[in-house]
Amino acid sequence: MVRSNCMKKNKIKLSYIIIVLFVLFFSILCILPFWYVLISSLSDPLLLKTGDVRLLPNGFSLQSYKIVLTERKFYQGFLITMTRTVLGTALGLTVQAMTAYVLSRKYFQARKLCISLIIFTILFNGGIIPNFIVVQELGLIDTIWALILPMVFNPWNVMLLISFFGAIPDSIEESAKLDGANDFIVFCKLAVPLSRPALMTILLFIAVRHWNELMDGVIYINSNLLKPMQVYLIELIMRTSVQNMVEPTENFVTALSIQTTAIFVSCIPILILYPIVQKHFVKGIMIGGVKG
Amino acid sequence: MNSASLPARFGKRMLKDKYLYLMILPGIVFMVLFRYLPMGGLIIAFKDFSFRKGIWGSDWVGLENFKFIFTQNPDFYSIVQNTLVINLLRLIFFFPFPIIVALMINELRGKRLKKFVQTTVYLPYFVSWVVFGGIIMQFLSPTGVANQILQLFGHKAIPFMQEAVYFKGIVVATDIWKNAGWSTIMYLSALTAIDQEIYEAAKIDGASGLQTIFHITIPGISDTIVVLLLLQIGAIMDVGFEQIYVLCKPILYQTGDVISTYIYRIGIGNAQFSMTAAIGLFQSFVGLIMILLANTACRKLFDKSLW
Repeated sequence: MVRSNCMKKNKIKLSYIIIVLFVLFFSILCILPFWYVLISSLSDPLLLKTGDVRLLPNGFSLQSYKIVLTERKFYQGFLITMTRTVLGTALGLTVQAMTAYVLSRKYFQARKLCISLIIFTILFNGGIIPNFIVVQELGLIDTIWALILPMVFNPWNVMLLISFFGAIPDSIEESAKLDGANDFIVFCKLAVPLSRPALMTILLFIAVRHWNELMDGVIYINSNLLKPMQVYLIELIMRTSVQNMVEPTENFVTALSIQTTAIFVSCIPILILYPIVQKHFVKGIMIGGVKG
Repeated sequence: MNSASLPARFGKRMLKDKYLYLMILPGIVFMVLFRYLPMGGLIIAFKDFSFRKGIWGSDWVGLENFKFIFTQNPDFYSIVQNTLVINLLRLIFFFPFPIIVALMINELRGKRLKKFVQTTVYLPYFVSWVVFGGIIMQFLSPTGVANQILQLFGHKAIPFMQEAVYFKGIVVATDIWKNAGWSTIMYLSALTAIDQEIYEAAKIDGASGLQTIFHITIPGISDTIVVLLLLQIGAIMDVGFEQIYVLCKPILYQTGDVISTYIYRIGIGNAQFSMTAAIGLFQSFVGLIMILLANTACRKLFDKSLW
């Protein structure tokens, strides 16, 4: 009896250890790419090229940082992306939050109709070509608005926010209205502060989408001056534009080193924003939002 | 109730809710402009579209574009096949992965450990495919980490990114690597909603760890599993543009080109708008049918559905 109890305890411990090891392995695998670009960008470019940089930096050089940060195309792309992210997030969050708040009010007449229309856009879409034609016909091609306006409305975010605003008790809203507040004031003064975790989460979603979006830059932007950072990065990584970037005198800085440096610099804003918002995540996401 | 007063009452409500209507207006405008107008734009799939003539001025061609893609465009079958195979592999390998990881994270004791794991596994989701793909390609290059490990075991270096056999596997594996950690958040938030008293009761009844997982935890997240599964099935014709655009080089088009990358390259690159819009319509339509079918099946079988 005692013996079997003891064995059972050991067995549980063993399975627990396996779980911990597996989960930690996956964790490390997930940070590995970031660690890799960081150490690669800081290492001696020549050692990086010959494959001599493994888990720790080998040699030390900031040469490629100097090149990337003074490269006009890079910081131009960085600025374009920064602009679209700030404008796009402000506009997107405002529009999505207002839409969702209205649709979370059960007494709103057009509620059912609007929600059905939103869900339908999740199930069916026009696709790449009609989107391109609409953007073209609106005269947005080769303007920064082509990168901002099509992303203002997002059905997933709106559905997620509806479930959050819906959780605000009616009694709070009613008492505010008795005090003479209109719907807009209730939204600004009550709904928004009460839904802070959800709004922070959506804010991060929108900002990250803008920061990372590649496709619209590829499709809607032809002008070199307006190319967002991801488009510049993919040209740097996939194509041979590195050669043009490196001056003959700087030959000792290899393409690989410049690529990893540009990649790492492009991630810095996300690595800063992520921990600030991350603590709101589980609170900010409920499956109720996915289930319409 | 007098039916004649209905419009009047409706108008009165509208006036009373005028702020609500004003607040929802921008959202509706953007939805119509960038979601519903493109759906209307799909009529060019039945026309011979040119920008010079515009959507309305272009000539109708009926089902010619569809006839062409089904009978005369050999690329069509290859991109549909690649898309379907990648998504089936995803369904088999990607889909269960976050469920298992979420169950494991749920078992973790110690707040710090849990926090660390969650923080790290969500992270790759937040970088772009350009960045992640760029790193993957360096890992898998002939002098990269993967081949260094292979050589450590005396194996020859493999040019992973240049051989067709590996491509689909790489797509699914890197997708798991980048996004599966984030997908656990849906299950983890569903897990927090399970009443802790049920666990206490099960413990008193002497249920083992595995028993509680199978009889309490998994049923507790089954709604989430069904919803995400249905959405995944609805996306069966859709492989994201960015991952393939970043990873797939021209030598791999035969095995790696999918519907979205093809539409971009041929449709916008070669200005074949109508033909590729027809492919896009086919893609969206099949996706819609799939999710409706799966939803009905789910309702009949498990009494669960999206709506």
